[in-house]
This record gives sequence, C-alpha cells and structure tokens, in this order.
Amino acid sequence: MNPTDKPIASPLVVLREEFDDWAVLFNPDTADAVGTNPVGVAVWKLMDGKTRLADIVSKVKNSFEDVPDSVPQEIEAFVNSLSENGFVGLELPGK
Amino acid sequence: MTTPGGVNQQKTEAAAPRPLNTLYMYLTEGCNLACRHCWLGPRFDATGSHYPTLTVEAFEVAILEGKPLGLSGVKLTGGEPLMHPQFNRLLEIIRREDLKLVIETNGILCTPEIAAEIAKSTDRFVSVSIDGTDAATHEWVRGVPGCFEAARQARRNLAAVKIRPQIIFTVMRKNVAQVDAMVRMAEELGASSLKFNVVQPTARGEKLHENDETPAVGELIDLGRRVERELAPKTRLKLFFHYPHAFKALHTMASGDGCSSCGIFGILGVLASGHYALCGIGEQVSELIFGEVGKDRLATVWNENGILKSLREGLPGRLEGICGRCLMKDRCLGSCVAQNYYSARNLWAPYWFCEQAEAAGLFPASRLKPGSARPERISTGNEAASK
Repeated sequence: MNPTDKPIASPLVVLREEFDDWAVLFNPDTADAVGTNPVGVAVWKLMDGKTRLADIVSKVKNSFEDVPDSVPQEIEAFVNSLSENGFVGLELPGK
Repeated sequence: MTTPGGVNQQKTEAAAPRPLNTLYMYLTEGCNLACRHCWLGPRFDATGSHYPTLTVEAFEVAILEGKPLGLSGVKLTGGEPLMHPQFNRLLEIIRREDLKLVIETNGILCTPEIAAEIAKSTDRFVSVSIDGTDAATHEWVRGVPGCFEAARQARRNLAAVKIRPQIIFTVMRKNVAQVDAMVRMAEELGASSLKFNVVQPTARGEKLHENDETPAVGELIDLGRRVERELAPKTRLKLFFHYPHAFKALHTMASGDGCSSCGIFGILGVLASGHYALCGIGEQVSELIFGEVGKDRLATVWNENGILKSLREGLPGRLEGICGRCLMKDRCLGSCVAQNYYSARNLWAPYWFCEQAEAAGLFPASRLKPGSARPERISTGNEAASK
C-alpha cells in the first residue's frame, strides 16, 4: 500500500460498533471477524476509495490527541493487514 | 491515542497435532476442603492420607514424554495439589526440566517452607482461591472452619518469598454482594490479579445451579460488565471476569484477557490415578480418559487419540447452536469443551452460558453472524429469572 493509494473498505464487510467505540468487522465471504479499536474504526470509515492513504493519516492525526510519530506506519500496517484478509481493496487504476 | 489495531481471530490449522504446551496434573483424588461449587468433586480428605495421589514416577514419565511434544509447563491442581505427599519432589522435577510452574491451591497447606520451595521456580504463577471477604462466607463455600484465615496466611507466606498470587473468587448468590469489597481485599493482600469465576454446572457445581444458588446469567453478564467497565479502571489490580468472549469488551481482549478460551489444542490432563484425560473432566466422564501413563506412550495419545484428532479437525467449525453462529468462536472454541460434553455428551454442543443468554435475549447482537439471530422469542415475562 502506497500513500497515494486509495483503499476502499469492502462493501460486503459489516461494521459492528460497540459501547466502548471498539468494533467488530465481519467478512461474510470468509466468516472472518476482526476486532478493532476506535482509531481503526476511524480509518475504516475513511476508506471510501476516493481518499488517499496519506489523507486518511492526516485526518486521523487531526481527529485524535497525542498522536505518535509512528502513526503513518501503523495505519499502513493496519490497512495492509485488512487488505491481505480481504477486508479492503484498492480503487482500480484509471478510475 | 492508540494506533489502529485490535483483536484478530486466531485462525488455526487445527487438524495437525500442535505442541503439547501444558500438562494439567490433577495430583490428588482427595481434597482437604469440600467446596460447594467444585467442578471435579474430589472426596473430602482432611488429612490427605485416604485417597490416591499421582505417583512421582508417573509424574516424571508424563513430563519426560511430553517434552519432545513441546511441553513447556505444568499446572499443579487437584483435589488440592499441596496435599501431595512428595510435593517438593515434584517441584524439583519441574525445575530440573526447566518448565513453567502453575499452581492452583486453596492455600491451607501453604506453609512458609512450601512457599519457599515454590519460589525456587523462576517462572511460576500461583493462584489462591478466596470466595468471601469474611470467614463466614468463605467457609460456607468451602465447608471447613478455619480455612479463611489459612488462605489469607497462604497469601502472606507467598508474599514473604516475593510471590504475588492471583486470587480467584467464584461468584455465587451467597457472595455476589462482596465483589466490590473483594477487590479492596485483594489489593490489601497484595495480589497480582483477581479473577472472578462463574460456577460451572458440573459435579457439585451442577447441584449449586439446580438449587438456584448461582446468579442468573443476566446478573452475571451485568456483573461482568461492571467489573470490566467500572471496577477495573479504578484498581491497580488486573481484574478478569470469566465469562465467554462474546460478552467481553474488545478492549479487554486486546489487553490480554485470554480467560474463557478452551485450551484444548495445547493441554492434556494427567489424573491422580495415572491416566491421561482431556482434562480434569476425566474424573467425571470416563470416555474422556485416553490412556495410562507408562503403559501408553504420550506421543501416541497426543497424536493419535480419536477424540483429540476429532476436536482438532472440528473446532471451531463444527460447534453447534449459538456457538456455531458466534463471531468469537475462533478465539473461544466453545469456551469449555469439557463442560459442553459433560452437559450434552456432544463435543460440539454449545456452551451453557451462551445458550441461556440467547434464550433470555441477552446475547450481544454485534457478536453474531449477520442474519443468524434466532427468531425473536415470545415473552413469557420470566426473562429476569431465566438462567
């Protein structure tokens, strides 16, 4: 995943937000479920296929306090992990 | 801010044998207490001289045969492990083999000398059961006068050798009002953590359930959430509430609360009789005994036993009922296969707690596969009492 990539959350995946702002992501294709924290939820909601990964990072930085320097790498790793498990795709080139 | 992350399912290639991480050694058939909720139901033996104990030879053979399979630790439990007449010799073997030591004890026999022996193991974890903040409550649960002060003294003896035990408190109607006070008491006793257990409906625990001496599932869910959300943030202790993953807050799982997962892929029981078994449930269910130490090679039992192979192939995919529809099943594995089998004589049966929660309309919808919720039940007006 590159900073210029525009990840898109799989429309099949169900986001289940819970009382503590954590959430469960469920992929009905694979029956995989992943729990994620509030930052991950924010990232998930920004993955609309139109927003570059670098912009997602910026928006997250502006939305949370005490953001560590490592947040770009952390978000990239998170998105990559979701991508490897079929939760996230990329906008097709030329679109 | 925390960076994005969370709780991944623990997808596993289950069918192949895994490392045998831990042997659960049920050292004694007797116990010096007579706890109302015990899921094993050992016979009462005040002096520790009436009922069989695991021989040192069998203990050692199981360990030596376990190491090539990946054995890295043993849990000493019972009955009451400290009643074993050669307990110090068992500790020596554990140290010699460089194994992690876990002890579950009621503390009665935890003298300063025994505590010092336990402390010689550098990688150790000790839990002491205390079921009330006063002698009357604890001893009502445990059945023997004087055991409350003995458990507290055990904690002091362990502290003297720099062991901070976990305290385990099993929730019943009799003591449920003492949960907050128990947190304070555990702090004062210098515990490392406090774990709240739910009574399992097995052996004596089954009687407790039948006699309505355990809180209803709805009450337990409320209590668990209060422990996680209100009590845990206010104490330096680690608090664990032993209810299934479906009910746990995700952030508690992410911070390492692995309670309530069935450990079946990495453990095996060794009973005081010298038999291998799924776990201590072999004391109650003979078909879950898999062989005999010394006569049967542990490698053969671990790799070839039909029930273990079936579990590796079938968990969690074959879980039935609510467990089959739960999003947490890869982590939870049905919570306790032994309990499920005891209740239904079916390895794939759902866990009683989750079944009752679903029947009462209390199973978290966010933890169910979409579209898999049961049809809404017709209200009977008795949900609050449903267990």
